[in-house]
This record gives sequence, structure tokens and C-alpha cells, in this order.
Amino acid sequence: MSNSSSSILATWKRIFVFSLLSLFVTLAATGVLYALSQVIDPLPMALLYLLPVGLCAALWGLTAGIIAAILAFLGLNYFFIEPRFTFFVHQSQDVIVLLVFLGVAIFISQMVGRTRDSLAAARAREQEAVRLFRFSAELAELHEDLAIAESIARNVRETFQAMGVEVRIESDAGRPELIVRSPQNRIGAFASDAPVRVPLQKPEQMLGEIRLFDVPADLTPADERLLQTFSYEGVLALERARLIQAETRARVLEESDRMKSSLLSSVSHELRTPLSTIKAASTSLSSEAVAWDSEARNELLDAIEEETDHLNLLVGNLLDMSRIDSGALNPQQHWSALDEVVDTVLRRMRTTLRNHQIEVDVPRDLPLVYVDDVQIGLVFTNLISNSLKFAPENSVVGIHAIKKDGQTLEVRVLNQGPPVPDADLELIFEKFHRVTSGNRVTGIGLGLSICKGIVEAHGGRIWAENLPEGFSIKFTLLTVWKGYAPQIPEENEPSTTHPGD
Amino acid sequence: MPPRFRRRMNPQPHILVIDDEPQILRALRTILTARQFRVSTAARGEDGLAMAAAQPPDLIILDLSLPDIDGIEVCKRLREWTQVPIVVLSVRESERDKVNALDHGADDYLTKPFGIDELLARVRVALRHAARAQGAARPVIQAGELEIDLADHRVKQHGKDVRLTATEYRLLAYLASHAGRVLTYGAILSYVWGPGESDHIEYLRVYIRQLRKKLEADPDEPRYIINEPGVGYRFIAEE
Repeated sequence: MSNSSSSILATWKRIFVFSLLSLFVTLAATGVLYALSQVIDPLPMALLYLLPVGLCAALWGLTAGIIAAILAFLGLNYFFIEPRFTFFVHQSQDVIVLLVFLGVAIFISQMVGRTRDSLAAARAREQEAVRLFRFSAELAELHEDLAIAESIARNVRETFQAMGVEVRIESDAGRPELIVRSPQNRIGAFASDAPVRVPLQKPEQMLGEIRLFDVPADLTPADERLLQTFSYEGVLALERARLIQAETRARVLEESDRMKSSLLSSVSHELRTPLSTIKAASTSLSSEAVAWDSEARNELLDAIEEETDHLNLLVGNLLDMSRIDSGALNPQQHWSALDEVVDTVLRRMRTTLRNHQIEVDVPRDLPLVYVDDVQIGLVFTNLISNSLKFAPENSVVGIHAIKKDGQTLEVRVLNQGPPVPDADLELIFEKFHRVTSGNRVTGIGLGLSICKGIVEAHGGRIWAENLPEGFSIKFTLLTVWKGYAPQIPEENEPSTTHPGD
Repeated sequence: MPPRFRRRMNPQPHILVIDDEPQILRALRTILTARQFRVSTAARGEDGLAMAAAQPPDLIILDLSLPDIDGIEVCKRLREWTQVPIVVLSVRESERDKVNALDHGADDYLTKPFGIDELLARVRVALRHAARAQGAARPVIQAGELEIDLADHRVKQHGKDVRLTATEYRLLAYLASHAGRVLTYGAILSYVWGPGESDHIEYLRVYIRQLRKKLEADPDEPRYIINEPGVGYRFIAEE
């Protein structure tokens, strides 16, 4: 209701403005012609009077032209047709002149006005087309609801000169409701105004709504059509984004499904190997057919123990892998001494290490590192266990650590095993990647990817290098955490124990 | 030594195992019985608490993950009325639970899967500490070549005095007087440096290093002071 009455008001306002303009032009023309009336006959005067009519029609369109035509008709009659300064007409031929003049003036203003209006309409259409083109080009590059909503809000605001535009996208399939406002700093200020609402709608589903606040002029039917088109474009973009997201999700699921089944098959294989050893050894021992001498007996028992430890590491690795994957590794970092971590790992692996020479060079005066000592112990366990697997018996497995700079230690675990092809040096840290070297060695290829996960969660870096005679994995650990290096309170040396009697 | 106590230690200490895995219960019962322990078992926390009250055992082996109540809760409820030694069983991934259990009254822990030597060592140490808690504290602790005289504040190695700073001595004395038992980082720090310092593991690391340098024949293979990653330290007095 208020809309239609206000649009009528606007129409009248426009007519009034045009009347004033036309009046001004016609009066000016009348003044000029009046000055020339001594030298020009009334007839050519009528022709000259067509000029302001044409001008008004050309400048301000049909309405202004017709108003000017009527004014010129009155002016001609009043100022130039005898008797002058009255609206009376004595001669019948003057009546004809006046009527023809009115007809011609209206005709001209119609022709000129229409041309002008259609030119303006064409220009407006072109502008619309350009805006739409820019808008859809912009949308084509966006694949996220938020970015799309922002683009819609900004473009609608610029096109319709609204003070504020709000785009609401309804919650859907776990997505929360999204509200985007343009300009952003007017959040909350929109609520009081009565907005123009345009739905963002698919045939079967409502996706959201565009709301325009404080649009300066009322929307013409053409504006409304344009707004509708903006909304269609927005819906298309949102739908496209959703399709892409769904496709990505599907691909990720497929990939993780593939990984899971590959994991399951290699895990079951991997678990069976130590289980077979354990089963074989324990049934042998309990069998009464053979009288085992004590050496053979011990060997079987050692095999059982070793394979049990191996199984334990494997199960732990699987668990850690799933933690790393889900981002739930949560290292419990505190200041730790690397030499102590290494000592503990070597003590626990003692039985498995007896077939190799272990060379440890982890100086006791290295600065403390800020790590979860259990997880870093696991990194060493995996790296050493890998070395034992790939390097020949009685070869050297080295564990070295040096101070790299003011805030890092560089740790190196090296062995005399076969080199890894250069192309694989990075790949070996990927899940399930195994460098096939002969058929002796097995492994699910989880160990190194767990090391990578752990080291990176500690802010370090891990990489592999081939050595002239062997292979090494290096990683870094931090000795400064958030700008803090540990401070140990000083103590004066004097002892509380009495020096020798 | 009170005669009542002698009777309880001899000849067959009574061990209560609380664990919901029948295989573990079966294995522990067999192994411990063979080692001359009297064994009773419970598969649920509530049953375990009831059994401990009905027939007080000399030691409890407690799995931290039980079907009905949290193992730590069992620890707390036991500690409301008894000082019976508790050894908790847990898995590698839950250092926090272990520390939590130790802070709530457990005496020691074992990580599953464990070797039987380890289990027996824990049981022995826990029983011995319980016995000592009722008798007088030993004034002199002997560990290999090391002799720590708590009354006299004196540490000797191979019969010679070892010079230690006040803090080093305090740390060593605290560890050694709980020989064989794990002590959490927090417990050691608040005893040696004061309750306000219980987060400063870095102090502990540095002082342990210094102690090892002074005491251990081969610091690469420490014999006396053993680290339990994520939990604490243990002083080993046995050969």
C-alpha cells in the first residue's frame, strides 16, 4: 500500500520537476523570440518555437517534451498571434496554424522523447548486463558458502544503492545458519528497517534470503527483475558449491576407505607373522616329542619374547597413527634430557639389540629439549627397530645428537643398511609406503609416518639421507619453547656431606 | 618387629588381583601361586573393594580400566581405610592415568604387557616398603657400591665419601629411601624444591644428570637412578 502511494507521489514529483524545467526553457525561448518578433513573421515564429520543445524532449524525455509543447503552444498564442497578449485568436488561419503547431510539437516531442527513453533503457540494460556478467564471473570462482554470500551482499548493495544488505543462508546438513552483512561494520543497525526481501530458492528447497535495507528509490519492475536474477545466480553458485563439497567429501571417504582396507590387509598380515613365531615356538616347547637342550630352549623363549615386543610396538603404532590422523596426539611436553630418553629406549630394547653394534653419541651436556619424552622415545624405538630390520647383522646402528644452533638439536639415527632410491627419500614417510628390498623384511610402513607425525607435532622436522655406506634419518628438536629456555637455580658447591674423615 | 606382622608376611603373603580380563587373572593366579603367594581375584572394582575389606590382603594388583568403576576411584576408596600396597596395571598410552593413580595412593605401576620378573620385583619392593612402614626406617641404604647414611647425611662410594650439594643430597636421599619404588616428577619436585616448584621438571633433569655423573660408573647405562618416561624416577638398590 505505502509502496504504491509513494510511487504515485514520486511520479507527480517528477512531472512537477519536468514542468519547471520545460517552463524555464520555453520562457527563455519566448524571450529570445520576442526580441526578434519585429523582424520575424508569426509563421516562421511557430517553426522556431518547435526548438525548445525538441530540446526538452531530448534532454528530459517524453513527459517534459509534451509539457514544453503545451507551454510553447500557449506562448505562441499569447505573445505572437494577433491580438497579442491575449489567448484570443481573430483569424481562422491562425487557429489552423496554432492547432498544426500543437500537433507537430507533440509529434516531435514524442519522437525525440521516445528515442531518448529507449536509448536510456538500452544503456540501463547494458549496465545491468555488465553488472550481471561481473557478478556471475565473480561467483564462478567461489566454492564456499561464506564467500558466495559475501559476494551476493556486496554486489546487491552496489547495484541497488542500498544502505545495507544482509544475506542469510539457512542451516543445512550440519552447516550452521550463515548471516553475512554488507557493509560489515553496520552489524545490528539493519534490524530496525523494513527490508525488501528476496528469497534464495531452489524449486524444492529454500536456501536463504537476501534483505535490502534503505533502498534510496523505489524498485522499478526492471529493478525487481534484476534483483531476481541476482538471486538466481546466487542460488546457482550455492548449489555448485554444495556439489563440489559433496564430491570432495565423497572422494575423501573413498580414499580413506581404500586406506582402511589396505591397512586392514597389511595389519592382519603383519600381526600374523609374529603370532606364527610365537605359536610355533610355544607349541614346540610344550611338545613332548623333542627333548630340547637348554640353548635351543632359550632361543625359542627369546623368539617368543622378541615377537611379543614387536607385536606390542605394532599395536602401539596403529593406535598412534589413528591419533595422529584425528589430530589427537596431544604431546605432554616438558623439559627432557635427550640422553636419558635414548638410554631408556636402549634399556628396553636390550634383547633385540644384541645382534647389532650400537654406537651412541648423545653428549650429556646437550641442552634440554621441550618434548613428550614418551613420544620421542617412540620415535627412537621405531627408527632403531627399522634400522635393525634393514641393516645386516653385526653392522653398526648409530644414534647421534648435536647442538645445531641456539634453539635446535639435530638427531641422527643411522645404519649400514641398503640405500633408499633418491626418489623415495620423501615417500618413505608416507603411510604404508615400504621400500621393497628383498623379501626378507616386512613392515606395514607405519613407523616412519608416526615418527614424522610426532616430530612435527613437536615443532621439528624429519628427513632421510643416503650415506656413502648406509642410510640415516635425521630430525630436529627444540631447545627453546615460546622464547623460553630452562633456567636452573644456581647452588653453591659446599656439600652437606662431610669430606673424608 | 611385632609378631603379628611376622605372621602375615610368612609363609604366604596374600595378593588380591583386580582385573576384568579372565586370561590375565588365570595367568597371574598360576604364576603367583607357583611363587608361594596366596592369590584371590576379582573381575570388578566393587567386588575387589568388598574382598579387600572382608579379607585384607598384603598387596593389591589393580588394573586401571575396570568395567564398573575407575581404577583410580578404587585406589582412593582403598586409601580411605588401608595402607595396603597397591600396584596398578596400565597400558603405554596412559602415562597421565599412571601419574594420577600414583598421586592417589598407588605405590607403583606396571605397563601392560609386562614381564613376570618386573611384576615380581614390584611386588617384592611394595611388600618390603609396607613392612618397613610398620618398623623403623633404615638409617643406612646400601645399593651396590653405594652407601647412603641418612642419619649422618653421608654418601660413600667404594668406601670413599662423595661430595654432594645440599639439593643433590636431598634428591638422592628421597629417591633412595623409596628404593625400588617409582616416584612421580611432581612428588620429587615438591619434596626437594618445595610444593610451589612441582612443575619445574627441568631442575630435576639437570640434578639427576649431576647425580649420575657423580655416582654412576657408566652414566650411559645408569644403574641406580632409572627414568620412567612420562612418570618419574626410580632408585634401584638391588643387585
